[in-house]
Amino acid sequence: MNRVEEKRAEIRAIIMNTGSLPTLPGIITKLNALSQNDKASVQEMARLVSSDQVLSARILKLANSPSYGFYRVSTISNAMILLGVNVVKSLALSSSIFEIMEKNSVGLWEHSLGAGVAANIISRRLKLPECEEISTAALLHDIGKVIIRLNFGDDYRQLLALIEEDEVSMLEAERKLLSTDHAEVGAWLAKSWFLPDKLIEPISCHHDVAAAPTQQTKASVVHFANILIKASGFGFSGDDFVPLIQPAAWELLGMTDAILAEIVDELEDKLVDTKNFSLEMQTADEA
Amino acid sequence: MQKIPLALAEADMVLARDILRDDNAGGPPICGKGITLTESLIERLKRMGVQTIAVEGHPVRMDGDKNPEEILLDLDRRFIKVENDPLTGRLKNIYRQYYAKSSGSGE
Repeated sequence: MNRVEEKRAEIRAIIMNTGSLPTLPGIITKLNALSQNDKASVQEMARLVSSDQVLSARILKLANSPSYGFYRVSTISNAMILLGVNVVKSLALSSSIFEIMEKNSVGLWEHSLGAGVAANIISRRLKLPECEEISTAALLHDIGKVIIRLNFGDDYRQLLALIEEDEVSMLEAERKLLSTDHAEVGAWLAKSWFLPDKLIEPISCHHDVAAAPTQQTKASVVHFANILIKASGFGFSGDDFVPLIQPAAWELLGMTDAILAEIVDELEDKLVDTKNFSLEMQTADEA
Repeated sequence: MQKIPLALAEADMVLARDILRDDNAGGPPICGKGITLTESLIERLKRMGVQTIAVEGHPVRMDGDKNPEEILLDLDRRFIKVENDPLTGRLKNIYRQYYAKSSGSGE
């Protein structure tokens, strides 16, 4: 293995060894066990999550974010019914990482929130099933970047320097320096959390939808959501470059100029609320 | 039309859209399109928890607001790596049209 390949193996090992990641509340381990048990009821899981008030408050804040449209969710069991167990579990698992993002990389946090909003608009406009799961995958699509930044600070600084010098995208820089990328890293993390394929694949394949073995539609929506939010200039994901729209994603979703124009109109409208939401979350945490 | 946080609303601005209840978006509007805002109305909306409103024209210059030329230059800069791609080019055109529409007649 050369030095760059070693890096990839090192990152993978760190993620699989969850002890080195941002601490997860003990509840998550129990929730994970419970959600893999077919006999566990939504009520049981809701009771477990509700017993941690701080975690519940964070999940409810996210469940009421513009990424999920117009829900008014006030209890965990409501969130589980309206948004689904997978969504609540993902929000619980990622809440500590989101908290880090909110404080230390507002640009990436807003990019992620905005992608969630865009994915929600696309999947509703195209009347796709499981909109909430698609929004969640979009919210999580760049989580690999947070992990790289948190655990490999020196490498992250080198990535930023390379983007600046060579005017390459974050993705190109990661592949060059780490021989992996944030999509793969994010998918390792999602796997280590036992998230379902419908959440893992859109994360791992949002830059290459044809590589998704079973969830190409969801991967295509997240692919578009990422491109749209970068096109709008909302948030900051590490570089300013709009990525290429893959013809496979365009065809799979049956995209047309007219539909895309409607989506852009609605997205730009919602981004005002998204900005407000992000500012509110930041000031609420300070208080 | 401009969508603004209620905190930036001022008397004499004109509503460009109905204000709906957060918890009952399908119900009757709290306040109708075309109404001119007053200080007391703004206070009442704040107490009701309204967060954003849409007003006629573009009365508030927000932080980071840019003139139309700057907006298009930024758009060009963001699309620089995909300039010659036909599909991504279509998205860029849609954004050009969106910016033209939103900076045009104020509608």
